[in-house]
Amino acid sequence: MDLRDFYTRLSVDESLAEVMGYNPYYQKIDSGLNARILVNGHEMIDLASNNYLGLAADNRVKQAAMEAIKKYGVSLCGTPIATGYIDLFQQLEKKLSHFIELEETIILPSCYQANNGLFNCIAGPKDLIIVDRLVHSSLIEGIKSTGSKIRPFLHNNLEHLEGILQRSMGYRQVFVVTESVFSTEGSIAPFKEIVQLCEKYEAMPIIDDSHGIGVLGKSGRGILEEQRIAGYRGIYTASLGKAFANSGGMISGEKKLINYLKYYCSHLVYSTALTPAVLAGISSVLDIIHFEFSGIKKKLINKQRQIYEALLEGGFKVVYSKAPMNSIQTGSKEATFILNRKLYEKGILSTPFIEPAVPISEGRVRLIAGASLSQDTVDEAVAIIKRIGFS
Amino acid sequence: MEDRIIMTIQSVLDKRPLITLDSHLLEDLRVDSLDKLMILSALEDEFAITISEDDFADVVTIKDIVMKLKARGFFAGGAATI
Ligand SMILES: Cc1ncc(COP(=O)(O)O)c(C=O)c1O
Repeated sequence: MDLRDFYTRLSVDESLAEVMGYNPYYQKIDSGLNARILVNGHEMIDLASNNYLGLAADNRVKQAAMEAIKKYGVSLCGTPIATGYIDLFQQLEKKLSHFIELEETIILPSCYQANNGLFNCIAGPKDLIIVDRLVHSSLIEGIKSTGSKIRPFLHNNLEHLEGILQRSMGYRQVFVVTESVFSTEGSIAPFKEIVQLCEKYEAMPIIDDSHGIGVLGKSGRGILEEQRIAGYRGIYTASLGKAFANSGGMISGEKKLINYLKYYCSHLVYSTALTPAVLAGISSVLDIIHFEFSGIKKKLINKQRQIYEALLEGGFKVVYSKAPMNSIQTGSKEATFILNRKLYEKGILSTPFIEPAVPISEGRVRLIAGASLSQDTVDEAVAIIKRIGFS
Repeated sequence: MEDRIIMTIQSVLDKRPLITLDSHLLEDLRVDSLDKLMILSALEDEFAITISEDDFADVVTIKDIVMKLKARGFFAGGAATI
């Protein structure tokens, strides 16, 4: 045994970045998500962050966070089961449950953590977990930790799902796991039908609504509102770091489930609670959504459409998404990096996805135009996109 | 029997080239770990057998999968019966 061997094993394959002379990851951001962001000291248009509603740098949200810091300090230095469970925490749990219209909620430091911690509390080797083939890494990791039998189904394919359900006899419990908005594709799950299939085969549905909460539905309540799924009895998770513009992950569902997780989910019990600033920030985002959602959503859709049309005109391969994002199908990882770099060089920050974040050779470059971008900024982005397309 | 295996695998690999016995899982079909799970599940259903993932950890081509299934005696009745 030699420490050198250990460190040799840890080498990162940077060949692609070396060949391209460009690494899109860990770019240094020198500002907040303002009208323009500073990346490595350069002013750029942010089409990369998940700041859908444009509330990350909203003055009201900042103010709420600052007031919480004044009252509570920056941290309670404890997990929720100990000193971390301040009144703001409890109020936010209630407010989130009310918002998505489910019985109860717990809040973890991130949705990655929520998805990682959920599954091994509720499933084990005697169970079957059927999962959409394209779900997020956090769900896959969580599912793998259970020792359950895992059966992926073709992306959003109800027929394939039902086929598997029909042949799923003899398990203690069957779970069906999917996401609302698949953030690399922009596709939306037919979740209402999935819930109906779950009812038919007595399976437990689990939905990750990270890119749907605060975005989908008439009043921003997410996938359950969007698809009019009333009386949902399954499990719901979502990130609070995207449209909600803060950080954290929620798990919601029936009281019995949530109470169990409160004591048995180690990812919650043994991890320092979200800080007062974040709790207050999320709460103020919920207030803004309550009063202003329809106006914000209109802006969001309008911007998405302008970018979409520019992409079409520029000859890019892009499928119109019902979610407020545009995902360009670039294919190989090289082509994905090249387009991401071209955009970067012209002043647009975008998100590249290569394997393993997406299936091999199904690279994507994603553009999200947040609701707070000014029309001038969108015009400029549109002009850049068209220019790159024509070149 | 080979045809039936190939058809079963093709049915869960959407947007992929036509599969032959010589298709390389990674290079030709871009199969990742979830695809592989989906392939094994589909074979389990099609042939009403149980497959352990570990037994198929080292397969590289479609032919390897066929050989494994044969070696495990899943098709003891001979190809003609399947
Ligand atoms: C679908 C999905 N689930 C979970 C996560 C993780 O959420 P968080 O950033 O809160 O850990 C993300 C993105 O980061 C996501 O896109």
